[in-house]
Amino acid sequence: MTAAPSHASQADVSEIDAVARWPLVLLLASALVWLLITGTLALVQYVQLLFPGFLAECPALSYGRVDMLLQSTLVYGWIANAGFAVGLWILSRLAGAPLRSLNWAVAGWFFWNLTVSIGLICVLFGEGTSVPWMHFPRFLYPAMVVAFGAISVPGVLAWTGRTQRPVFAAQGYAVAALFLFVWLFSAAQVMLFWAPARGVVQAVIGEWFVQGAWSLWVAPLALAAAYYLVPKITGRVLSGYNFASLGFWTLVVVGPWTGGRHLAGGPVPAWIPSVAIVAAVLLAFHYIVVALNLHGAFSRGSTALKFVAYGVAAYLLGGFVDAATALRDIAQATQLTWFTQAQGQLALLGAFSMTIFGAIYFLVPRLTNKPWPSTPLIRAHFAAAFIGTTGIVLAFAVAGFVQGHDLANASVSFADIAAHTHVWIEIAAASQAVLLVGNALLALHFASLLVIRPAATAASLLRPAPAMEASAI
Amino acid sequence: MRNGFLFFIGLFAALTLSWAGVALWPNWQLGLLKPFYDQNDEKAYPQRTPGIAAEGRMVYDDLGCAACHTQQVRRPDLGSDKARGWGDRQSVARDYIYDTHVELGAIRVGPDLANLGARKPAYDRDDLYKLLYAGVGAMPSYKFLFEQRVISSNRQPADDAITLYGPLAPPPGTEIVPTHRARRLVEYLLSLSQSYEYPEATPVEPAAQGKEGEKK
Repeated sequence: MTAAPSHASQADVSEIDAVARWPLVLLLASALVWLLITGTLALVQYVQLLFPGFLAECPALSYGRVDMLLQSTLVYGWIANAGFAVGLWILSRLAGAPLRSLNWAVAGWFFWNLTVSIGLICVLFGEGTSVPWMHFPRFLYPAMVVAFGAISVPGVLAWTGRTQRPVFAAQGYAVAALFLFVWLFSAAQVMLFWAPARGVVQAVIGEWFVQGAWSLWVAPLALAAAYYLVPKITGRVLSGYNFASLGFWTLVVVGPWTGGRHLAGGPVPAWIPSVAIVAAVLLAFHYIVVALNLHGAFSRGSTALKFVAYGVAAYLLGGFVDAATALRDIAQATQLTWFTQAQGQLALLGAFSMTIFGAIYFLVPRLTNKPWPSTPLIRAHFAAAFIGTTGIVLAFAVAGFVQGHDLANASVSFADIAAHTHVWIEIAAASQAVLLVGNALLALHFASLLVIRPAATAASLLRPAPAMEASAI
Repeated sequence: MRNGFLFFIGLFAALTLSWAGVALWPNWQLGLLKPFYDQNDEKAYPQRTPGIAAEGRMVYDDLGCAACHTQQVRRPDLGSDKARGWGDRQSVARDYIYDTHVELGAIRVGPDLANLGARKPAYDRDDLYKLLYAGVGAMPSYKFLFEQRVISSNRQPADDAITLYGPLAPPPGTEIVPTHRARRLVEYLLSLSQSYEYPEATPVEPAAQGKEGEKK
């Protein structure tokens, strides 16, 4: 079951990383810049919820536009750049060979971030589309598809040119994420913008796209990181690894079907939400496998492992909550409320971001051959991210229940609902501020690592991690 | 997963399957949905959005109104939509066939707008201009959709100048007039109507027919 490790993957700071150093640092640096921008925008949005007059005079930053900017920077800024960096690094490590054609990734990085920036400026000046996760004007999307493909080239080459026969779960998830999103993105933009489907079919396709982007792109990247890091850090083989491939295929096959659950009770044929509800419950199998495989994340270990443990816990909890709130009785109370915001934040900030933070703390010293300058800063970031993310999710979950309860009672006005949820939005805003400070610490820490010339290289400080990815997939 | 080629085929097949099931099938089912011709009215419903209202939809999109407002009325036994006066019947797929871009919305921080133009009591333009200008509750004011103009001595006040009292009233000799964008947005909001009773939209008594009435 345990693969015979090659020499390349045993050395902990190796030529494999040296080649990829600057392209991946570039991706990570831009990801962290976007992370700070999206955090600031989230804070602005929560303050606007508390004080509707805040920035109301400024058309570019009216609430609805901040909402679009916030989602776009989160998904196409932070998640995309960080996901590329972590995904490519894992693929090169597991392939046991240096990444090839990295100039494609650098060119892709440039055009991806350029198009995202242009898109954001378009939204600022009133060209936003209000389509969830597709807020940019349509002419930018083909360029984004090409740029995404270009960044994925080294990843796909690392896969096809891998020197080790066995395939690891982390590799499968990372390749799936890089390969599938391009197709999903293309199909969705054609049916939403270039040859728009009629009427509510657009809403159905929109849900399919957002769910697919989560199930086939964002979640697989987080899982790739978790499947790679947990055995590396704990030094133990993943338990029940034989089931990992079943878990993988369940997510890929069933995941994209679950999007329609948000449309229950809406103006679409009833079979669409019904199929989605069945799929959401079936997906429990995937979460059981992930829990079985990755429970090692909850053992004692470095701070990086703590981040991953938080991410895995958030992922599992999110899966359970998704399935529970898909059921019609619960959906009645939580649908169209802040509770959906809590679910989104649990997934994107909890499951994805926390796991990727763990991966960043693990991979950057190996990539740059420099140790992190300060351990207390890492702990401080973990504390801030833990408090911030948990606070945001819990505050919106409670606000959602309050709002759902009030909405069901026609005699409660919207001004009253806003008053009842006010304190929870305040808590969310405070948590967002804490999270933003924590993420700023990470960005500063990363910048200082790049600038400071260390007394000792990371290679001399790092204990070689045991090469023990098993190869059951 | 050992065979790389099969692995890619499998991934692609999984995505294609969900695309066919979740995107293509509804498109086939609803894409040819026709308007309903009413013999008595000698009109087909839903009616097309007038040009200025279609422009207003773009204002609705670019301001991101859908971040707080939904446009989907639920059936009477599901939530308080009817009791709140948002609509007498649930929204059905046919209501949206002429919408260039459907804005169902995902969260109700503010009221549902699907049937705003057919509310009782009816909103008139001045009401909506005032709501947009002053804001209400959690809704911010959109003062940038209006301009303050000096009423020159040889001219009457503008027809659509909004009537404001108290602290919001403009200084004497000036008036608050909606810009062209505000006019388009309000025309769009007033064009939102889901009042025609399609056969498939007739509310079904929950006790009598159970969940049968959800959708066609």
